[in-house]
Amino acid sequence: MLHVNKVSKVFSISGKQLHVLDDINFSVEKKETIAIVGPSGSGKTTLLGICAGLDTPSSGDVSLSDVKLRALDEDDRAYLRNQNVGFIFQNFQLLSTLTALENVMVPLDLRGGKQSSKPQALDLLSRVGLADRVDHFPSQLSGGEQQRVAIARAFITNPSILFADEPTGNLDEETAEDITKLIFDMNKEIGTTLVLVTHNHDLAERTDRILYLKSGKLVEDKLLRAI
Amino acid sequence: MDYIIKIKKKKKHLFNDRWVWKMAWVEGRHNFKRLLLFTSSIVIGIASIVAIDSFNENLQRDIDGQAKELLGADLVIRSNGPIDSLLNLELDTLGEQRATDIHFASMALFMNVHGGARLVQVIAKDGNFPYYGKVKALPEDAFNRIRGGRNIVLDENLAIQYEVSSGDSIKLGQTVFIVQGIVQSMPGNNAIATSFTPSIYIPMSELEGTGLIQFGSRTSYRSYFKLGESDDIDDIEKALRPKLRKLDYRYDTVEEQKENMGSAFENLYRFFNLLAFVALILGCIGVSSSIHIYVQQKKHAVAVLRCMGASGWQAFNIFFIQSMFLGIIGSVAGIALGILIQYSVPILFGSVLPVEVGFGIVWLSVLKGLLIGVVISMLFSVLPLTLVRKIPPLIVIRSFYDEIASRSKTRYLTILLIVLLPWLFAVWQTKSWMFGSVFMGGLLLAFGLLYLVARLIIFMMKKLAQRGGTFVMRQGMSNLFRPNNQTIVLVIVIGLGAFLLATLGQVQSALLGQVAFMGSDDRPNTVLFDIQPYQKDDLVKFTKEHELPIQQLVPIVTTRLSAVGGVTVEDIKKDTSIHIPKWALRREYRVTYRDSLIETETLLEGELIPRENETDSIFVSVSESMSKTLKLKLGDEVVFDVQGVPFTTYIGSIRDVDWQRIQTNFIFVFPGGVIDKAPQFYVLMTRTPDKVKASLFQQELVQYFPNVSAIDLGLILKTIDEFMGKVAYVIRFMALFSVITGLIVLIGAISNSRFARLKENVLLRTLGAVRKQIILLTLIEYSYLGVIAGVTGSFLSILSSWALAKFFFKIEFSPDLIDVVTISAGVALITIVIGWFNTRSVYGDTPIDILRKEGD
Repeated sequence: MLHVNKVSKVFSISGKQLHVLDDINFSVEKKETIAIVGPSGSGKTTLLGICAGLDTPSSGDVSLSDVKLRALDEDDRAYLRNQNVGFIFQNFQLLSTLTALENVMVPLDLRGGKQSSKPQALDLLSRVGLADRVDHFPSQLSGGEQQRVAIARAFITNPSILFADEPTGNLDEETAEDITKLIFDMNKEIGTTLVLVTHNHDLAERTDRILYLKSGKLVEDKLLRAI
Repeated sequence: MDYIIKIKKKKKHLFNDRWVWKMAWVEGRHNFKRLLLFTSSIVIGIASIVAIDSFNENLQRDIDGQAKELLGADLVIRSNGPIDSLLNLELDTLGEQRATDIHFASMALFMNVHGGARLVQVIAKDGNFPYYGKVKALPEDAFNRIRGGRNIVLDENLAIQYEVSSGDSIKLGQTVFIVQGIVQSMPGNNAIATSFTPSIYIPMSELEGTGLIQFGSRTSYRSYFKLGESDDIDDIEKALRPKLRKLDYRYDTVEEQKENMGSAFENLYRFFNLLAFVALILGCIGVSSSIHIYVQQKKHAVAVLRCMGASGWQAFNIFFIQSMFLGIIGSVAGIALGILIQYSVPILFGSVLPVEVGFGIVWLSVLKGLLIGVVISMLFSVLPLTLVRKIPPLIVIRSFYDEIASRSKTRYLTILLIVLLPWLFAVWQTKSWMFGSVFMGGLLLAFGLLYLVARLIIFMMKKLAQRGGTFVMRQGMSNLFRPNNQTIVLVIVIGLGAFLLATLGQVQSALLGQVAFMGSDDRPNTVLFDIQPYQKDDLVKFTKEHELPIQQLVPIVTTRLSAVGGVTVEDIKKDTSIHIPKWALRREYRVTYRDSLIETETLLEGELIPRENETDSIFVSVSESMSKTLKLKLGDEVVFDVQGVPFTTYIGSIRDVDWQRIQTNFIFVFPGGVIDKAPQFYVLMTRTPDKVKASLFQQELVQYFPNVSAIDLGLILKTIDEFMGKVAYVIRFMALFSVITGLIVLIGAISNSRFARLKENVLLRTLGAVRKQIILLTLIEYSYLGVIAGVTGSFLSILSSWALAKFFFKIEFSPDLIDVVTISAGVALITIVIGWFNTRSVYGDTPIDILRKEGD
């Protein structure tokens, strides 16, 4: 599903070369769930961005759903994301001018099909417990509710891979637990590959495998359970 | 390891991608209110274009329809003397009816209670002119009462000025006439012309008795013809043209009248259209700036959409559709307003229009307004929108990603079109490549200078803000250069508005100042002319008796050119290789004789050579400008025809003449002892100390020297002031379009910056900034902006007014600093008030309430 081959990322800041990622190699199989953990500044989010085709590596290759990302331009990568990828962000990243329902419908509508995406969106919102909040705007929802909308949006296209960047980072403990449960339940139900970046060890422990990053290097690849 | 690349996308564009249309709506519905303010900035521009264009079409239509009534006849022949007797016989057989008049300047003495004397245009008439159109008079038949007898009618403004009514007496020369009524309008005359030279009408049979026509009197003759149905004006014109040209007579036909009037209004129309165009461009800059800020605020939303899989073009199209709709809404609103404004234009222009202009919707103008509005506003929106395509999805996880690479082919193409299309529009509007290009060049120059000033200010603020000062001072200054600042846009928009207004004010002051200067100190302010040689000594005595100084007494001889550089005038006219304008060869030259220069003259080449013996060659002096026109240099031969007697002369010197001063200035000056005996008349210049003395002097002058006329500088000043007032009123009205647009853009830009600054101000409040500090901070930012924009615009207006004064009006210029300070202060004040008004919500509510209300 995801192959990361000798990926490095170097930033040039004020003439100085900053190695954020250094020769990273790993693969993620279909339906596998992995967590990328490490201290702040270890390159976790950069790695996630590169894996999801949001950013390009300075060297090395990433293949997603058998497609080499390096060969694609930005619009092709966007198309690939729409067809295969779902996202959940720490800051929810909902469109503030769209209602909860409209936010959930966006990825499916983008595909341009003739069928309405509304029934699916309503179904998903109902599954995440927001059946009565579909017409609310993000500013009218709590943090946990916003993240539920983001989860519904992430799953509406039945993505083959889901990237989650600190999905519980902005939530209190109780809500975080609810959200974690929701992500894993839905992931299991749909059979999506999951790559999540987190500081939260409890959350990481729920995945099949943990990748430890330190100063841009992959220092450990720990298998917790076989798929 | 090899992987297969399997990206097979369906090609989507604006019209087959339903999603972008849906997103444009759902995403834009909460922002339309904000963007609508910017749409309104193009409303005024479109409104003025539609109003002016429709008005022009209606005016042209009405001029065409009323041309015959405007001329009053089918053919008018004009000459500077009695019509040649041979030609006169031929003209007597022309058409069905003929009428004539003789007109000249003379003093009129108003003998009613209030009294007074002034220079008027006397028109002695004979016949039934006008044949077409109507003389509007009070009483209605007043004009018909001057077919004979000592009856007189006068222009309405003259009657008002001297409080004359029917039955009052007016003395012209030696005859006292009885006023029969007033003329309100007359075919061929317009209000502006009559305000400069108000007319008095008398019967032709009474002209001789006045004794006003004497040697040197500048009289003009007009013959009016009404043709029969079988007469063909083209055939008549063809047959008469060579004869009239030979005699140096001018003529007008209805067709020519249409063309002349059309071209007279063409320049005015061009000018107003360009002012409207400036308003539109200002509005478009406002739109462009708003979209730019809007896009900056939507960066995250676009990045999220990119994460979800939207392509760069899809993201672009969402905002493009929104802009397109805003452009259409703005244009349609502009058209509606333009049609409304059209009602007011005839009222506004009434005093300068020769015809009554009807109201009518001109669909071509409406279409033009729509096309210009949509194309220009879309074009200006596309420039900031090109950034949308380049917003990387990475922004959602990397907040430091601020700089978006803006280079793209679309962007460069848009910039090219932004210069090219408005330029082509300007050419289209002015119907002239030259006018359009000069205008566009000037506009770009003004924009460029304002942009540079804004950049310089940003640079200086960066330096100043680092130097310390209170937190509020530093924060206020920093807002001028930090991201999402409005400095450049505001300086350009407000600066340009201030620039236009201040330029108009400065030029008007300079022109009036020039006329006032002419009458300052001990310079002459009264000119007496048409003085016959036998009256010279008595008039000098009379002037001295009134305790007025004789500042100049100059003899004048009328001459014409016979040959220049050894070639006769007739041969030069035929020779196409000699490029001397015909008017310079045909015209009458009024010359004087003296052996020294006067204070308005400077010798450039040669010297004034006196003639000591009758056998000596005659050396004349020529003005520099005419030496260029006639292509004369020192030693060239010029033969003058002095009332039938040829005088062969040579160019002895070339002088620079200051024509702006009230002096008897001459193109040619003869040495003494050459034309002293030729028939001549005199001009006397004096200075009257005040209005009362001037009035008394002129009243007595008319009584004792009825044929002598006086030009009163005070009267000229008053007339010019009134005329400038009328013109300035119209121009200011048009400039108002730009100013209103500037204000709307200002309000919009400041409102927009509110969204940019809101979170910052809320954060400051959260951190403990008190209401007073936030207000002060806002006031400092907007004070800087207002003062910078106002001062820059006003400063540039000094440059443009200086250039206009020096190169176009050729007058002295000194900036009107009161105007500059007033406009700068006004602009600053308005900016501060609007800025404060827009950010006031931050002061009252709690931080969390504000964030909830405003959303993202």
